[in-house]
Amino acid sequence: MTRSSVSQALSGRPTGHDRLDVCVRSGAWLGFSAFAASLLGLTSFLVIKSAPAWRAHGAELVSGSMWHYPTESFGALAMTFGTISVTVCALLLATPFAVATATVVSEVMPGRLAALARTGLELLVGIPSVVFGLIGILFLVPAVRGIFGSPSGETLLTGSLLLAVMILPTVASLSESALRSVPLELRLAARALGLTRAETTLQVLAASWRGQISAVLLGVGRALGETIAVFLVIGRADGRLPTSLADIPTSLLRAGQTLTTKLGGSEVAIAYGSTGTHEAALIALAAILFAMVALVVVLGNRLRRRGLGMGEVVQ
Amino acid sequence: MTGAGATAGRNLPGRTGARRRTARWIELACCGAAGLALLVLVLLIGAVLWKGAGAVRPAFLWQPSTDAGVGGGVRYQLVGTVWMTACAAALVVPLALAVALVATQFAGQRLASLARSGLQLLNAVPSILFGLFGFVVFVHGLGWGKSWLTGSVLLAWMILPTVSVTLSEAMEAVPREVTDAARALGLSRGRCAWQVVVPHSLHGLWRGLLLGVARAAGETAPLLFTAVVFSGATVPNGIRNEPVLALPYHVFVLSQDSYDPAAETAAWGAALALLGVVLLMLTLALPLRRRAFEEARG
Repeated sequence: MTRSSVSQALSGRPTGHDRLDVCVRSGAWLGFSAFAASLLGLTSFLVIKSAPAWRAHGAELVSGSMWHYPTESFGALAMTFGTISVTVCALLLATPFAVATATVVSEVMPGRLAALARTGLELLVGIPSVVFGLIGILFLVPAVRGIFGSPSGETLLTGSLLLAVMILPTVASLSESALRSVPLELRLAARALGLTRAETTLQVLAASWRGQISAVLLGVGRALGETIAVFLVIGRADGRLPTSLADIPTSLLRAGQTLTTKLGGSEVAIAYGSTGTHEAALIALAAILFAMVALVVVLGNRLRRRGLGMGEVVQ
Repeated sequence: MTGAGATAGRNLPGRTGARRRTARWIELACCGAAGLALLVLVLLIGAVLWKGAGAVRPAFLWQPSTDAGVGGGVRYQLVGTVWMTACAAALVVPLALAVALVATQFAGQRLASLARSGLQLLNAVPSILFGLFGFVVFVHGLGWGKSWLTGSVLLAWMILPTVSVTLSEAMEAVPREVTDAARALGLSRGRCAWQVVVPHSLHGLWRGLLLGVARAAGETAPLLFTAVVFSGATVPNGIRNEPVLALPYHVFVLSQDSYDPAAETAAWGAALALLGVVLLMLTLALPLRRRAFEEARG
């Protein structure tokens, strides 16, 4: 072997021109740059297209409570309140049940049954939100009307109840996989030290706290962005803010609006091509929503140990 | 003896009787909560099956709808949904292959982890934002109009993280020895990726695709202003200004007229058809989860 052919072999290049190699690499990099550009495009769309609204209204856009497009007054506070209150309530309702379900599936059920339950949860995660919306309209709205005496039954509470059911499989599934990643030795050691089964389970939960918080945060991410199901049951009333802290509980029994339901409504079509800042203000709502979701989800993924972070639940 | 034992036990820090009682209560509460959660979820699915089964006649799937969606079946809704998601799948395959290849084979460590974060971020983007973007940029900016093409592009974009991540995981599961052997035999990087890694991770592509398509088929929010109408469209005949009907949008509109019993029945039927499509995809994806090397590694 001559010296040059050895160095050629070491550099991993077969003699001659490898056209496939060039094609595969350039194709892959091309596709990858398209992905990167699309992400960049989405964020710059949100920034650039909402800029006129930020310039015209400034901080009023975040802190203002009035949204009335014929008079060009755009404040997102009522919708942000709607989004946050619906999400928080859904979370408070769903988390205990989700973690309990995860615990039973991971720690109590025998192997085969646990696998079945896990599969069931994964299938439930994939149910389209419009199906939940239909269930909400036809079962939940009348129930809320009957139980809480709200005249229409379409309230923030209805939205959070529905969201709670929707994110339960997501949170349970993620929480279960966090529990399962705790080594068996920890359970054996705990039992050997004389801890009861319940105490052992508490130790396992404590050992997987990062995964548990991550599960909840990714559930929040899903709840913040959910549109269709909430749209159908929340009443979509603008400008409803509680007058004081004590008014918050009763405000949950009134109709409301979230950022997503606003963006799913007919105003988007009305706003297009309007002379004022209406369209920019709507895109500013989208930017606010995106910032909230990105914050929560980036944090949630940070806390997960696994490589790509969303292997079990891809939604 | 028992009395003394009980007294001594009461003075010890870890009182066994009390501990057992607490443990019993915790177990009971936990199982009760889990049982309730599972019960609610099962009841929900049961409700759709029960209500939908009443609406679905044999011809429901292939009859076109009549009387503003209240009568007839869901033929063109099914056609629109299947067509849009199939095109989205065709669009997403090359992109996902490219992203997964770069993230696992060609990129350095820093870029690979950046790509992962990017995929996680894109995965978390609320679907209504895709709708808004599509409406402003594709429908009006580029002049595509309300069209199935806009819908397919948006759906493909939306499911790109799902497919890429599932595929990347399969690619990462290909043992180092296999790729090392291939490289030692003189295969170039690209050739090794294309002829060794990709064939060994195809199950990941299929699984990701099925999961992604299941998600795309059920989406309403990105299509609201960009691709779908409630009536008046059949089979698309062109690419611009060619809206289609779609199952999720059909359910969405009908559910808002649900005070009409006939509309309610039609909505349940369409919801059941949609659920059938989605669950079929998800179930097909199940056996693909662990394959080949992953299984060998446990």
